[in-house]
Amino acid sequence: MARLIVTRLLLSIVLIVISSIAIFFLMSLVPGDPARTILGANATPDAVARLQDQLGLNQPLLVQYTTWLGGAVRGDLGESVFSGDPVVTLILARVPVTLSLILLSTIVIAALGTGLGLLSAVRGGPVGTFLDAISLVGLALPSYWVAIVLVALFAVAIRIFPATGYTALTDDPGAWLLSLVLPVAALSLGGVTIVAKQMRDSAMDVLARDYIRVLRSTGVRERTIVLKHVLRNAALPSLTVLGLTVVGALTGAVFVENVFVLPGLGTLVTQATTSHDLPVVLGVGVFFTLFVIIVNLIIDVLYGVLNPKVRVQ
Amino acid sequence: MSAARSPLRRIALIAVTAVAVVGGVAACSSTPAANAGSTTLTTQFAGVPISLNPALGGSGGSAIYTSLPYDSLIYQTGDGKLIPDLATAWTLSDANTKLTLTLRSGVTFTDGTTMDAAAVKASLEYFLKAGGGNARYAGPISDISTPDNATVVITYSTAYPDGPYYLSQYWSVGQIIGPKGLADPNSLLTSSDGTGQYSYSAADSVSGSSYGYVKNPNYFNPAAQQFGKVVVKVIGDPSAVSSAATTGQVDFAGVSPTTADTVKAAGLDLVSAPFFTWGLTMADTQGTLAPALANVDVRQAIAMAIDRDALASALGSQYTQANGQIGAEGTDGYISGYGYSYDVDKAKSLMAQGGYPDGFELQVLTENILDPQTTISQAIAGDLGKIGIKVDLVVKNSVPDFIQASLTKQYPAVIWPVVGSNSAQVLTNFIQPGVTNPFGNSDPTLTAAYDAAQSSTDPAAATAAYQNITKAANDAAWFAPVVSTDNVFAVGKNITNVTASALNSNPLPQAPDAQYAWKPSK
Repeated sequence: MARLIVTRLLLSIVLIVISSIAIFFLMSLVPGDPARTILGANATPDAVARLQDQLGLNQPLLVQYTTWLGGAVRGDLGESVFSGDPVVTLILARVPVTLSLILLSTIVIAALGTGLGLLSAVRGGPVGTFLDAISLVGLALPSYWVAIVLVALFAVAIRIFPATGYTALTDDPGAWLLSLVLPVAALSLGGVTIVAKQMRDSAMDVLARDYIRVLRSTGVRERTIVLKHVLRNAALPSLTVLGLTVVGALTGAVFVENVFVLPGLGTLVTQATTSHDLPVVLGVGVFFTLFVIIVNLIIDVLYGVLNPKVRVQ
Repeated sequence: MSAARSPLRRIALIAVTAVAVVGGVAACSSTPAANAGSTTLTTQFAGVPISLNPALGGSGGSAIYTSLPYDSLIYQTGDGKLIPDLATAWTLSDANTKLTLTLRSGVTFTDGTTMDAAAVKASLEYFLKAGGGNARYAGPISDISTPDNATVVITYSTAYPDGPYYLSQYWSVGQIIGPKGLADPNSLLTSSDGTGQYSYSAADSVSGSSYGYVKNPNYFNPAAQQFGKVVVKVIGDPSAVSSAATTGQVDFAGVSPTTADTVKAAGLDLVSAPFFTWGLTMADTQGTLAPALANVDVRQAIAMAIDRDALASALGSQYTQANGQIGAEGTDGYISGYGYSYDVDKAKSLMAQGGYPDGFELQVLTENILDPQTTISQAIAGDLGKIGIKVDLVVKNSVPDFIQASLTKQYPAVIWPVVGSNSAQVLTNFIQPGVTNPFGNSDPTLTAAYDAAQSSTDPAAATAAYQNITKAANDAAWFAPVVSTDNVFAVGKNITNVTASALNSNPLPQAPDAQYAWKPSK
């Protein structure tokens, strides 16, 4: 297991470099530049050229990238060309928001997805059909649209939850939870349906196995069969799907954070991209890459915990 | 099966408990509209600050980020009147080429130093060399002198009657920075050094999300300070703005005309004023790319082929006005009842007269940020089809992209809104190089009209000169005006005294005189 973790961490360095190169050169293809964005429509070409020079935008792309990489190796991801804030500071200030959103969504997806999937598999019949239909609807609805509907219903029409904004956990745990209920609901819906569907299929497959019949014939309680044998064996493929869903939630978080005006990494990278704030886009890109690597690592470790055969391999 | 139901029941019980806990928290916590009656003013702005350093900051509504901590030399009220701020008096002399400002005494910067003529001169000089986007509005300054500690004289190389206007809070030229801030401009990104009613508080801010300003205890007129704290929230999504306004999360917000009715139905007040004048700029007046545009008959035909009333109605006539001249109604130089009107027959006749009876193809550059879904652009393109002009709309998805594309001189015409509190200011969009004049056009008639307005020292004569500009602009038909659109703001029940007009369509909360400042409701 230790070898797996070390190998993955070493691989992560390569992945981060590759992703940063991709982000850097893709951003360079985006029309427009920060100098023009800062100075506006009527700035003189001289003023734009001066600012481009100040920001180092006139240097060759390779020089710009290696300069950034040199700083990144030392833990310096540069500064926002707009606010002047260090990128690391900007990211650290917003990580708690995005992590709160992703973590709570993961818990909701795992709990509800697993519960509904098991329920559907065990009950079958109309309940299963109903859950299948709900799953399809959940998959079809984009989280952005779900977010707008949730705000209209539960923040504007019935004022239970705040329409926008975020309260830090350390400031007020109750307000923190309230500020995340609707965003988490919007972000989780698709994931819950995917995991539920996967869990249902896996659980039905396990329930049809011979050893389940043997267990039943030996008088083992149905509750024990479901929770101890079916859940554990059906959880493996669902875990993979959960990992993919959590990684996908990063993309959803970008949209959801914008609708709920959460000061997270999603809104940060949106603003930075539209204003060509390359250091910030690169910094967030590196963070997202790291996040994906860590999630995959956790999934691998959990896989090993749940399945002894994987540990041996 | 009963045994299997038990764990499932447990899962259901956990889910119900979770909902109950969240519901309980919701019931116990204050509602989102809880900041009613507090002394904190929460406002919304759609974009992040371009910079917190005034010399590099934005103009118009985005000036809120810098105008709170940096008082300007002159203040513009909601109805467009210029009143004293850091300058208690000013005079324009020598045919509008010399602006003499008398400074207020007893004013100190956040850094503790006294605001005097030397400090103002240093701030203005820093602004001129900082290279910010508002630098062009400073005017053709040739000299800044300080005859004494309380007087600053700005000399312009050519007449500049708008000098005082551009020293107001919206243009950052006149937002005065203290000596300590000037010595270390980077410090202005994380703290402020002005004389304003509020000081920027990094501790109360999340960069890119919300910006907090706390009361300046040394402000020269404490009676004008109406709030203990001001928070500017960055909310760009129109539906999120509407939600935040209707639920009381913000006390003031710029709303989309499409959501204005929803906001009003929720009981909020709406304040609106004309801002943009939209139209088709026929930039290639020399006919380099589109030879037909060199012909004034063709340009006038284009201006006559557009059904302004239909477009205004489609866009929501409450906040959109059909407009056939370069300035919006209420601005200086606007002529009531004057302007291009919809007349396809006459337009066709002019096309024939100009040598293009069958029309021609025209590439038009536009964008979909200020013109969502390119509604205005498509309406213009559709109308031009009625006189045989086949428009090829090139749509850019970002404003910087649009600007860059326009400046390449590859597009003979562009659709872009113009603004100005008088027609001379609007005209600069077409006679000075920029996004609406990428080819660097000039015209002796327009320049003469502009110069005459600039050198007018009498208000009545100036208005007549501005109206001459309006007529000259329509005669030249470089710009086919279409509609004027309003800035629309939602004002919560927690604040009063928010005003806007065609001369000032971006209300800001602070004012050096309490009678013009926003106030908390009693």
